[in-house]
Amino acid sequence: MSYFLNLVFAGLAVGAIYGMLAMGYAIIYKVSRVVNFAQGEIMMLIGYISYSVALRTDASAPLVMLSVIAGAIGVGLLIERFIVRPMLGQPVFSLVMMTIALAVMIRAVVGLIWGLDPYRFPGSATGAPIELFGVYMQPIQLFLLAVYVALCVGVWAFLRFNIVGIAMRATATDSTVSLLMGVSVSRLYRVAWIISALIAGIAGVLFANIYHIGPDLAHVGIRAFPAAILGGLDSVLGSALGGLIIGVVENLAGGYIASAYKEIAGFVVILVILMIRPYGLFGQKDIERV
Amino acid sequence: MRTRTYRENYRELTELLPYRSSWNWYALLLAVLVSLPFMVPTYVMTYVTLILIAAVGAVGLNIVTGTAGLISLGHAGFLAIGAYTAGIAISTYGWPIPAAILAAGFVSAAASLLVGVPSLRLKGLYLAITTLAFSIIVVHLINQWEGLTGGSSGMPVGRPDFLGIPMRSPASMFYLTLVIAGLTVLGTLNLLRSRVGRAWAALRDYDTAASMMGINLVRYKLLAFAVSSFITGVAGSLMALNIRYLNTDSFELIVSIEAIAMIIVGGLGSVRGAILGATLITVLPDFSRYVLSLFGGALGSIASGNTAEIKGIIYALVIMLFLRFEPDGLAHQWNRTKRFWSDWPYSRK
Repeated sequence: MSYFLNLVFAGLAVGAIYGMLAMGYAIIYKVSRVVNFAQGEIMMLIGYISYSVALRTDASAPLVMLSVIAGAIGVGLLIERFIVRPMLGQPVFSLVMMTIALAVMIRAVVGLIWGLDPYRFPGSATGAPIELFGVYMQPIQLFLLAVYVALCVGVWAFLRFNIVGIAMRATATDSTVSLLMGVSVSRLYRVAWIISALIAGIAGVLFANIYHIGPDLAHVGIRAFPAAILGGLDSVLGSALGGLIIGVVENLAGGYIASAYKEIAGFVVILVILMIRPYGLFGQKDIERV
Repeated sequence: MRTRTYRENYRELTELLPYRSSWNWYALLLAVLVSLPFMVPTYVMTYVTLILIAAVGAVGLNIVTGTAGLISLGHAGFLAIGAYTAGIAISTYGWPIPAAILAAGFVSAAASLLVGVPSLRLKGLYLAITTLAFSIIVVHLINQWEGLTGGSSGMPVGRPDFLGIPMRSPASMFYLTLVIAGLTVLGTLNLLRSRVGRAWAALRDYDTAASMMGINLVRYKLLAFAVSSFITGVAGSLMALNIRYLNTDSFELIVSIEAIAMIIVGGLGSVRGAILGATLITVLPDFSRYVLSLFGGALGSIASGNTAEIKGIIYALVIMLFLRFEPDGLAHQWNRTKRFWSDWPYSRK
């Protein structure tokens, strides 16, 4: 039983990272119907930036946090200006391909600047694990889960009460009408990209603190796809929950079937789920008018 | 002055080549390619072999993504299935080369049903991610299935003689590739001008309307996936025969992206575009590395020390610039240039 519980907890900890990335996918998909294939790479880039900051400032927590925020705003603005805005009015497929190209680009540039070896994040405290009902938890993992919950609540409140969030939901429902109502779509895109970069950056720094920082951070972005699909691409909180489910499923598959199947368990799950519910568990069904 | 717009009957509209004289030009191109091994040094010939293999793969992907409009990010998976099928057929079971190539195509086509069936219900990006998931699963399973595929340590592939013709030399590999590339292009062009090809274009443009016109969506979507992955599987088998050593590193995600880059650069839905795109994308990394090395000094050493990164940056830049400034690709550029010269001196800029 404690083996099972340990697997579930480890799954939740990884799943929280997937969930954060999936929230980023969902926020961008909601406003622009585009899947951002560069989400994992953005997470890696901001992770590396804050790693460099931490290296030079003796891992001072406020400065690292500041670097994540500044990095996210910078990356979000740059992407919106040079990738998204020129492609407005083009088919969605073109913009998706742009984000794929962006992913390849970021990966290459990060490889050029920081090299391909993984590093330990400076100041990543590996405190004594806490034992509860036979489950071993690292303090940082608990912190990660707390951040995850806080982000979920924050994003929910933002979409529910903030005027920009409401405009986002309006645009998701009908972009033409919300344009007519005076919503500035380009400003909305900017906000969406910054928020999703910010969430990705936070996930990146936490991931780097728990494990390490290296080029394989980009793969986490790909492994978060099943989470976003499972929850439904246009449902932000559904995607966040999907992350937890995928994390737990991966760990259970790795623990009970064979460790090799951990990496693909999530993908198998979405192949099956999509056959039954083609729009994800919480996604909105597309009803087409002919 | 000749014009492309005037057609007298339906047959002229679907003809393979618009003019009699075009046949002469393509015969000339074929003659040049056939005599290539006698004219150029071996490394140029092996390079052309690489381009032809890439062109076969790009033509394959172009059918499903360009013509039928079903985005596939998983063609590295089909490529891997084809390559390993051919490798196993030759190395383990001692099949002759043509049988192995056909087997590669058919096994890939059968595997494509796994992706094709969800594609009936999924739209756009959901489908793209499903195909991505498929290729990740395929590569992972190949790595796990050590008894059959050699796992992560890889698998050597021989080139047995065929009907007494030795296949070991680069020239014989070049001719084999040329024959298959020629058959692929001819077959695809004929398919695209038939009912099947027009049905694919119709379901790409508006699938609801297409199904109202009496096009069986289930059948044609599955057919698009099957034909496309058949060709991609054949390209994979050529790859296996060419490298003679298989390893899953050759089928990473970047390969699918490379293939997508080829058809975007070339122009979606155009066979000529796929070939042009395959040529450009294959040549570009080495060409730009050469240019960077001319600068010497720091720039040159960066270029020689980080080949994978340079390649990534170039692919990314090429995709971005083409999407931004020439979304119709090289095929469109080709037509414009041709029209400019055939209308000259009355051509408009």
